[in-house]
Amino acid sequence: MQLERPPKVIITKIGFDGHDRGSRVIAACLRDAGMEVIYTPPWQEIPTVVKLAMEEDADVIGISSLATDHLIVPRLMDALRDAGLADIQVIVGGIVPAKDEKVLLAAGVAHVFHPGAALDDVVTAVRALAAARRARQGASA
Amino acid sequence: MNAETPPLEAILAGDRRAVARAITALENDGNTAHTVRAAVAAHVGRAHVVGVTGPPGGGKSTLVSGLIKQLRGRGHTVAVVAVDPSSPFTGGAVLGDRIRMGEHQADEGVFIRSLASRGHLGGLARPATDVVDVFDAAGYHTVIVETVGAGQSEVEVARIADTRLVVCPPGLGDDVQAIKAGVLEIADAFVVSKADLPDAQRTENELLSMLSLRRSPAANPPVLRTIATTGEGLRELVDWLEQRTQRGSRHASTEHQAARDLVGSSIAADGYARHLGFELVAAARGTATVRMRVGPQHVNFNGRCHGGAIFSLADMALGLACNSHGTIAALIDGNISISTGVEPGDWLVAHAIEVSRSRKLGVYRVDVNRAGDQAHIASLSGTVYITGKPVTVAAPDGRPSLAPLN
Amino acid sequence: MNKPVPQIAAADLSLAQARWERAFAADAGQPEPLRNRSGVEIKPLYSPHDWSGTAYADSLGFPGEYPYTRGIYPTMYRGRSWSQRQLIGLGVPEDYNSRVKEMLALGASALSLIPCNSVFRGYDADEVPPELLGTCGTVINHVGDMDRALDGVPIGDLSTAMNDPSPFTLLAFELAVAKRRGVPWTRITGTSNQSDCISHFVANHMFFRIALQGARRIVVDHVAFANEQVPGWNPLSIVGQHMQQAGATPAEAMAFTLCSAIQYAEDCIAAGMDPDRFLSRFTFFFDISVSLFEEVAKFRAGRRIWAKLCRERFGAKNPRSWRFKFHGQTSGVDLTRQQPLNNIARVTTQAMAGIFGGLQSLHTDGYDEVFSTPTAEAARIAVATQNILREEAHLTDVIDPLGGSYYVESLTDEMQQKIEAIIDLIDAAGGMYKAVEQGLVQKMIGDSALAFQKRVDAGGETVVGVNKYTVEEDSADYPALEYPDRTRMDEYLIRLKAFKAERSAVAVDKALAALAAAAQSKRDNVFAQVVASAEACATHGEICATLRRELGFGQPLTIV
Repeated sequence: MQLERPPKVIITKIGFDGHDRGSRVIAACLRDAGMEVIYTPPWQEIPTVVKLAMEEDADVIGISSLATDHLIVPRLMDALRDAGLADIQVIVGGIVPAKDEKVLLAAGVAHVFHPGAALDDVVTAVRALAAARRARQGASA
Repeated sequence: MNAETPPLEAILAGDRRAVARAITALENDGNTAHTVRAAVAAHVGRAHVVGVTGPPGGGKSTLVSGLIKQLRGRGHTVAVVAVDPSSPFTGGAVLGDRIRMGEHQADEGVFIRSLASRGHLGGLARPATDVVDVFDAAGYHTVIVETVGAGQSEVEVARIADTRLVVCPPGLGDDVQAIKAGVLEIADAFVVSKADLPDAQRTENELLSMLSLRRSPAANPPVLRTIATTGEGLRELVDWLEQRTQRGSRHASTEHQAARDLVGSSIAADGYARHLGFELVAAARGTATVRMRVGPQHVNFNGRCHGGAIFSLADMALGLACNSHGTIAALIDGNISISTGVEPGDWLVAHAIEVSRSRKLGVYRVDVNRAGDQAHIASLSGTVYITGKPVTVAAPDGRPSLAPLN
Repeated sequence: MNKPVPQIAAADLSLAQARWERAFAADAGQPEPLRNRSGVEIKPLYSPHDWSGTAYADSLGFPGEYPYTRGIYPTMYRGRSWSQRQLIGLGVPEDYNSRVKEMLALGASALSLIPCNSVFRGYDADEVPPELLGTCGTVINHVGDMDRALDGVPIGDLSTAMNDPSPFTLLAFELAVAKRRGVPWTRITGTSNQSDCISHFVANHMFFRIALQGARRIVVDHVAFANEQVPGWNPLSIVGQHMQQAGATPAEAMAFTLCSAIQYAEDCIAAGMDPDRFLSRFTFFFDISVSLFEEVAKFRAGRRIWAKLCRERFGAKNPRSWRFKFHGQTSGVDLTRQQPLNNIARVTTQAMAGIFGGLQSLHTDGYDEVFSTPTAEAARIAVATQNILREEAHLTDVIDPLGGSYYVESLTDEMQQKIEAIIDLIDAAGGMYKAVEQGLVQKMIGDSALAFQKRVDAGGETVVGVNKYTVEEDSADYPALEYPDRTRMDEYLIRLKAFKAERSAVAVDKALAALAAAAQSKRDNVFAQVVASAEACATHGEICATLRRELGFGQPLTIV
């Protein structure tokens, strides 16, 4: 019986794209790796995602992005900061051109995954980010 | 409190981040959890806690979504504890329940928290009661607890909620038998969901006829119909909820609460109960109700339920009832009379009551009925010897049980 | 097998087969059995033992005859080539209009319009973050936009396919434009592309967020309206593409699509429509993966199953009603970001599969599809690919050229079995609507997607440039994404505001009130009021909001 809860991850899409094959596969892998996953339908609005992250006290938010959806990720980062949730780690997966990737990382995104990324790498990265967040919060026991 | 403990004032003020982090602390179950529990304990009792239980796929989430809409329309704040099952193999979970309540995701007056069951046997999650208390202390008007919907969730919901709704979708078939088997004592109302389906009338009739067989039909819980997609029936259901007065009643009778916990721990630690598939339905000091479904392992060479299995079920109820005071008691003389044969597939419910009890001896009676038609199956009467030693069973989640009561 | 092969010849054949099997084993050993994406086992060789053509009349037939395995028309491409219908959609209506004129000059024979994702979602351009506008399609929010988009286009003479999910406002806008131009609706031809609400619900492609049962009603009303008033229009395009792109195997995609079609057909029959009237206006839209033979077999099996369903399950009597008409799009999920020019070879293979499969209209992806809507160069290559296959490789000179191949006929039969087994499963669950509300279909698709990804990760499924034959690539080599011009978007928003200010607010309110009343009535035709609202200058967002309020909010059920 584990005492500390497993990493809690939200997988969501905030732009207008509806393709979610990749994000669904990631969500399944994270679950199979022992994590607790909230997997939303696409087209979530940013305030909704912030509320979700806050209520669930999520460790990591994974944004699946196609087309130009990633262009509004900096807005999400701002909204998380404004809500006092800057410690929640955000990763982005999908089509992100190199120059836009720099912008995202500068805005506080922890990692950008491109198509073809190995599932194991994503799982490892998420676990590490969740652990880092917990460590920063200090042991609760 | 360390730097990470959300301050009590923040929780009481309804600060959402503080509430969320307090709940995480309860999930982590470390020192902070104790602090949180102690801090909120004095501030509970105002919220109306509504438990929603029923089979998977029965429309619980849709019903909850409809309830939220109604309650919000009346200006109330609502908190929801949504429980999803964890994988027994990987420990992971997809918390999909709240996703089915899509239209409320942006409403600031609604707080939804998902909890994974994480191996907890009761159909809820271990910290569920404490989480409900945090929402209560934070000032939410109504706290809805939605169970996984399988196993013993009815029992846990009975402990945790002020009002217990049992959702019965049409076309249940076999599951109707399971619902009949003991849940009668627990439900405060039955909700026939998806009432636009053709089987809805039959399900409602079955429930009504089952209730009419009870000893005191005046106290029967109502059977309400809802069609969540159109909102039909929801206004009436919430009207009924509003006039319920049992707020905070889950905290009122701590004596029975402690006995319930002890009985729950006892049966969970009982290898024989597991072996034969006994399930606890209800318990309080001096009484216990246990049920089982007659399966191949209970059947004798004539193809009917073995008398020994009936005796074992009755004896289980008796044993739990006489040990519920916290002192070890054992059967020294028992007599069973069996009136009707029982077929495989039937649900049997054994209800034990305490006839008398002194320092060293107790007399108990157990009635065994068949769930489907409430037919009387058997009676067991027994005398127990009270040893004076305390009952010490480990709680199912590893925590030591409560101190014995006298 | 009816006609027995003469005894001696059969024995010779068996001996020869056995001889070959020994020679094969001696050289190649006993390899692991191969399976295609649908799970059908693929042998190294097929022979008359696998399929001998003795049931030609029953199981194949001739083109244009039941069960249509070899093609729905007697002439197929000899009579008329497939339509080259390239998807276009970018930016503002004027941008669309110039691209359309270019495409028509290059020989495209039909038009397709794909709107901005904001439209799919059910909102006007001024209700959403501006960065997201016009990137995957054209912003069309009202009849004025449609008029500009189709400026100079002879809509009475050209077939237009609108990518137009519920509540089909794009068709409504086009009909309003036709009325303005004096073009009778009876001359309007085309298709409501991707009008399949179930498919959007399952594969999350642009489900417009009303309750599924509300969407169900709008679909039926839309079909009824078109049947009466726009008889040249195909109101229903039932989609397998979304599900296959989401990870469904080809057999699953075909099966689920047919199950959705069954629900739509049965709903229309229940609404009193005559199958011989509406069935010939049902069209299908499929993904074409790079698994060439599997796709050919999938389409041939689909034709056969659909013909039988129409004749026997729906009771249609006219042979024209039994024809399985479909549009194919080369599959974007097979394309890679790595070494993008390789995608040209993939698209060529996929296009061949569609042509051999007997599609009626084809869209070939640009090689840069993985990045965004295609650049002009990529779009040109995509059209040229079709021209080369038809006019240089002469792929269309023979109807159903793979027919009679021992492999393709065996595979067609096996794919049919797989497809029918899934149809039975969905029937047992109560039909496709119930199955998707329970999440059954989503789960199957998710499982297939996960299994495929695991095979790729483990190297069991090769993807050139990704898990094999990789090279170090400089990301600067990738073609630049074409973002729509922001200033043009800003100008558009200003014009949108002006449009809303200049129209008659009274007329709009009246139309929307009538729309709401129709939705509440449960019996009036909702789509007829959508058209009336479009004519009254209501915007897409306003129409959608009204329907969402009346018919309920809904989101796709996403199951992991």
